[in-house]
Amino acid sequence: MTLRRSQLNLRCPAESEYVAPVRHALGAFLAALEFERQSLDDVTTAAGEALANIVEHAYRRSPETAERYLQLLAKIDAAGTLSLVVSDGGTFIERPPVKGRGFGLRIMRAIAGSLNIDTSEGTCVRMTFRAKR
Amino acid sequence: MNDHDSISVVSLGGELEIGRKDEIREALAAARDAESVLVDLSAVTYADSIALTELLRFCVGAQQDERPVALVIATPQFARLVQYAGLSEAFTIFDNVPEAREYLGARTPR
Repeated sequence: MTLRRSQLNLRCPAESEYVAPVRHALGAFLAALEFERQSLDDVTTAAGEALANIVEHAYRRSPETAERYLQLLAKIDAAGTLSLVVSDGGTFIERPPVKGRGFGLRIMRAIAGSLNIDTSEGTCVRMTFRAKR
Repeated sequence: MNDHDSISVVSLGGELEIGRKDEIREALAAARDAESVLVDLSAVTYADSIALTELLRFCVGAQQDERPVALVIATPQFARLVQYAGLSEAFTIFDNVPEAREYLGARTPR
């Protein structure tokens, strides 16, 4: 398959029951782009961690009236680099590390080629992957 | 859940993720007082850090009581997740049930 610019953009309520469908959609998108199994699993694992983090923490300090959403944007460029942006409209809370918790960020760091977290407006996790296809 | 010997078996399959947090916790809690526990995760197709945290909580508790726990993880995604989280040393992991059973059998009073 020739490399083509493609993107997937999903926005859902920030509820736990939406995490698996969003992850599955990302998996299907990567499968269509002929990602090999391990890369596909790793990228969807990293995405799953970012999404679960939103559901668990993002809106804890938000007013009841706030729209609670999660958003995933996956883009592949012509060179074959995949960028993944997982974002929310919540309030980022700096949490002290707790022993036996907080493995999500460690997992994302282990998988992604680069990882950047922007908390200026909601939380926006940007990851890139040089995935094998 | 009890096996023919004193090894309790907890079996979980499918996708172990945030939406099933309570179910995972409850399934493990059912084996809280067992002498030894085989957690059969061989039918798991995907796992996330929420599932790992529940497993870790259970295993640390069992360790404190000196009750052996063996996990069976056969899915590559799950096996890599444990590595990525830096938890390879925190669990006793086998890739098949017979070996896990053998390990526990040697550590479980009959």
